[in-house]
Amino acid sequence: MSSVDAAPIVGSRIVALLGNPNVGKTTLFNRIVGLRAKTSNFPGTTQEARHARLDGSVLVDLPGVYSLNLDMAESVLCRQTLSGETAPAGVEAEVPNAVLVVIDATNLVRNLAIVAEAIALRLPTVVAVNMIDLANRRGIHIDLDRLSECLGCTVVGCSGRTGEGVDELVQKLESARIPDRSAPSELDAIDAWSDDIYSLVASACVSPQNDRITDRLDRAFTHPLVGVLTFVAVMTGLFWVIFQLATVPMDLIDAWFGTIGGWVGSVLPEGAIRDLLVDGMIAGIGGTVIFLPQIVLLFFLLALLEGTGYLARAAFVIDRVLRPFGMSGHSFVPLLSSHACAIPGIMACRSVPDPKDRLATILVAPFMSCTARIPVYVLLTVILFPDSPAMQAVAFTGCYVIGALAGLMSSLVARRTILKGASRPMAMELPSYRFPDLKAAFMLTYDRAVLFLRKAGTLIVAVSIVLWWLGAYPHADTPQESVELRQQAVLSSDSETIASLESQADLIEARHASAQSFLGRIGSTVQPVFEPLGYDRQLTVGVLASFAAREVFVSTMAVQVVGSDDTEDDGVLSSIANAKRDDGSLVFTRATSWSLLMYYILAMLCLPTVVVTAKEAGGWKWAWLQLGWMTLLAYGGAMIAFQAVSLLS
Amino acid sequence: MLTQEQPSQSETLSHESGAGWIPLTELSRGQSGRVQLQGAATEEVKMLRAMGLRPNASVTMCRHGQPCIVSLSGACGGGCRIGLAKEIAGRVMIEVDSETNG
Repeated sequence: MSSVDAAPIVGSRIVALLGNPNVGKTTLFNRIVGLRAKTSNFPGTTQEARHARLDGSVLVDLPGVYSLNLDMAESVLCRQTLSGETAPAGVEAEVPNAVLVVIDATNLVRNLAIVAEAIALRLPTVVAVNMIDLANRRGIHIDLDRLSECLGCTVVGCSGRTGEGVDELVQKLESARIPDRSAPSELDAIDAWSDDIYSLVASACVSPQNDRITDRLDRAFTHPLVGVLTFVAVMTGLFWVIFQLATVPMDLIDAWFGTIGGWVGSVLPEGAIRDLLVDGMIAGIGGTVIFLPQIVLLFFLLALLEGTGYLARAAFVIDRVLRPFGMSGHSFVPLLSSHACAIPGIMACRSVPDPKDRLATILVAPFMSCTARIPVYVLLTVILFPDSPAMQAVAFTGCYVIGALAGLMSSLVARRTILKGASRPMAMELPSYRFPDLKAAFMLTYDRAVLFLRKAGTLIVAVSIVLWWLGAYPHADTPQESVELRQQAVLSSDSETIASLESQADLIEARHASAQSFLGRIGSTVQPVFEPLGYDRQLTVGVLASFAAREVFVSTMAVQVVGSDDTEDDGVLSSIANAKRDDGSLVFTRATSWSLLMYYILAMLCLPTVVVTAKEAGGWKWAWLQLGWMTLLAYGGAMIAFQAVSLLS
Repeated sequence: MLTQEQPSQSETLSHESGAGWIPLTELSRGQSGRVQLQGAATEEVKMLRAMGLRPNASVTMCRHGQPCIVSLSGACGGGCRIGLAKEIAGRVMIEVDSETNG
């Protein structure tokens, strides 16, 4: 074919996979290309597509669309890709050399509409009648030869799940030809054309038993009471599994990075390079990678859950809750994911079809209490209720509720002001209940993990290094007090006294170094801003340090008050709780602790999230708006908490 | 084509449109009918059509209420179900099949 060499730059033939959502297009794609697929974005958008090389061809798995002629982002991108205006990064923007239309054998009539649209493109076309095994089992017989005659192009029956017919499909793709028949372009005509072809090629007998089970499940899962209870049970189970399973790898990663840090520390000579590697880079990378198990588990389990068909039903349950606040059921998965981490949560907003709904969801996602807040919540609730585990639990849960409520209210405010309008009522296909596709879930999880490590990882590491530097420099002179203590230690003969004197000296030096460092000086300068919230210099440094990542707060406080960031030890927690300000009073008074808790629930203390918001919302103005709004709420909330508790006690 | 903002009363509508046409929301569970009209060709209507809810498509009500779930029966082998917010379902007019009607 002459069009084969129409791609001079990379010299490969482009084959675009087109099809409705839920037709098993991605499963078929995975089956054809195996593990070679890469995920990349369309330039200037958050929409992504997977592509893979296969024997001199590039296969591009386009987003699933119901029609090429809708205004939705996916539809527009498919149109542009097919006309050669755009292509996912890594693939050249050329008119594809062939189109592979994937249709669902169990739902042929509707799927024929997109075949008509594809035929109208006048590109070499092959139609894959996917899930042919399932159709046969359901008693639907499709005359593929006749279908090929009606459409005027090659038709192959196949199953992405079992691999049936896939080899033949790949072979036929090589010799794809432009359809020798035309198809109508007007909506009503397409409908009539589809009906005609369907009556010619298919004989179906619908099995009502299957429907009855699906009916029962659907009714239960969307029931106002049973549906909500099921939802709560499934989500509790999901998070329980994530937290349970993630602990082991997280501890391992923690220990592993500790060992690496220790080893590097022992091998390298003392000095700035060692400190940079150990305290800056290794600590920074470790602090990022430690969240990987949760992210991987979350995406894997969500992909499995989505594969069963349950999530589409759950979206309708949660739609009722979110609608009054200006979001829709489509926002549910993003908000759910945000409870693990706002970054994958915001990335998941790509599935929200309405642009305003999507923006509202992106803007409020960081209000959901992510796992990075947990160490801070634990510290502060323990300080507030040292003798009552029950009250700690209540306060802990309260933090999650306050965060979620702040998110809902913020969405409401946004929908009344900058994003005026009601959220889009839901219309969603409810896919059949199935056993989830493990391979697809693995691939998705792998993509997300790489994305997380590459994007957030590089940034977190960079910020950690900067913070480390600000905290470590300039090196302060040794204070006179500690010099004297060390002299006493040298003179003493009792080993316990020596140890105690030296640890006192260490502590004094650490506090002095922390106060004299750039970060400490910044803390002293900025402290007046946080005065109304009840924070002293040390807390201000803690709050500033956690701007990049909020979990840094606990270790920063530990470094400042103890001179060691070994927060695992109970002794460290209690020494943080009993830490003194420069004037000798307690750092964590009741009022200050409440104020801090409020601040950490509401504040956007996560630089990577700001970057991801800018990227996903399509502009830095949204990121600044989100940052400003959350900081405003956090500052206001913390001030009210501090002043109110101060007045009451 | 006829557009009706909130067609909650089938009596008034049946005067304006074809006899026996009711909004999809008023189809009872298990009842089937054919889609007749969906109002102006808005983006929403185009989307519904592309999803298979198009004129003359045969639908069966699976779950009544919010959301309502319909099955596009006959041609689909039971594989195609669509969940719809009440607001959307209320705008889709259905001609009830005589054999399932009462």
